[in-house]
Amino acid sequence: MPRIVVRVKVFGQRRDRRLFLPARARVLDLLERLGYNPQVVVVRRNGKVVVEEEGLASGDVIEIIPVVTGG
Amino acid sequence: MLKCSLCGRRAVYDRRYAGVLLCDRCLAKSVESRFRRAISEHKLLSPGERVAVAISGGKDSIVCLHLLADYCRWRNCKLVAITVDEGIKGYRDRSLPIARENAELLGVEHFVVSFRDAFGATLDRIVQLARRRRTGLNPCTYCGVMRRSLLNQAARELGADKLATAHNLDDEVQAIMLNYVRADLSRLHRLGPIYSPREGFVPRIKPLREIPEKEIALYALLRGLKVHLDTCPYAGGIHIEIRDFLNKLEANHPNTKFMILRMFDRLKPELTRCTPRFEVKMCELCGEPTSTNICKACELLKQLGLSKRRKRLIC
Repeated sequence: MPRIVVRVKVFGQRRDRRLFLPARARVLDLLERLGYNPQVVVVRRNGKVVVEEEGLASGDVIEIIPVVTGG
Repeated sequence: MLKCSLCGRRAVYDRRYAGVLLCDRCLAKSVESRFRRAISEHKLLSPGERVAVAISGGKDSIVCLHLLADYCRWRNCKLVAITVDEGIKGYRDRSLPIARENAELLGVEHFVVSFRDAFGATLDRIVQLARRRRTGLNPCTYCGVMRRSLLNQAARELGADKLATAHNLDDEVQAIMLNYVRADLSRLHRLGPIYSPREGFVPRIKPLREIPEKEIALYALLRGLKVHLDTCPYAGGIHIEIRDFLNKLEANHPNTKFMILRMFDRLKPELTRCTPRFEVKMCELCGEPTSTNICKACELLKQLGLSKRRKRLIC
């Protein structure tokens, strides 16, 4: 089954990581895989804010910014 | 590429509770119009009034500051900003410069009041004392009560007609649920877009009350506002459990948060009717307005062997 590889950075964390996903994966699938509720994060794909239904492509750089910070 | 349901530009946000995709411009326009609508619908501000806005440097308060600055220019209101420095090492000391920078950028006069000056101890110290004395209270209890007390005093000393806070939809719905869970009717009925208890208390307004937290974050990000995004090191407890529960519900059942808010707003007149109005007294220890002989802040401080200083915060 064809797969894509994306680089994922989480705001506030030093290390980024490479993630293998199915070829037709969306941002939402990536968030699910990493255990993030889309309600609490904003996602940038290659520097641009995207909606969770947006598809991913091999080589994409994904930034996850947790925005629910209250306490 | 997914397109904005309103104008066809590239979408940046899926507003699932309304079934629309929005681009950066349409989202910003919608946030701004909800802010203005909240002010006019609930009569939060009148032209020429003096408004104090509480800013921490976080996304919500910085967005509130920028939106209020625009609004106040238009409606000829006078805006001042207040930051409470609770004394949380590694957290508040990072957000405070951001609050100052934004106020300066907008030409808004900015005042900082601190727990250390007012109570003789930082929140870090208060938490340490509370743990040592095993009070069983969590840091948010001390912080919330004492911060509200200082904000009210500072706003009053600045001659503010209104005190604006940046509570968003998520905050308000969490507070509603928390008060249900705790069966705290007296706190529940105080929630709403405006709370104006009695003399000595500056009426508190919440112009962001109908804007979801994520939309505020996106607005800040898309407008390139400088904001502090870290989480308070003391955040925890039932409050966080309720927040996560609501976010899970909203993800699976879009519009849940708005429905909880709408239901509460429909119930609120009945809640107010069955909650007796309190008589304002002056706290015997600090002189601040209260419903009991000793205000909650002084009561908490007393348990820790501390006391509030009887002096002006704004010199």
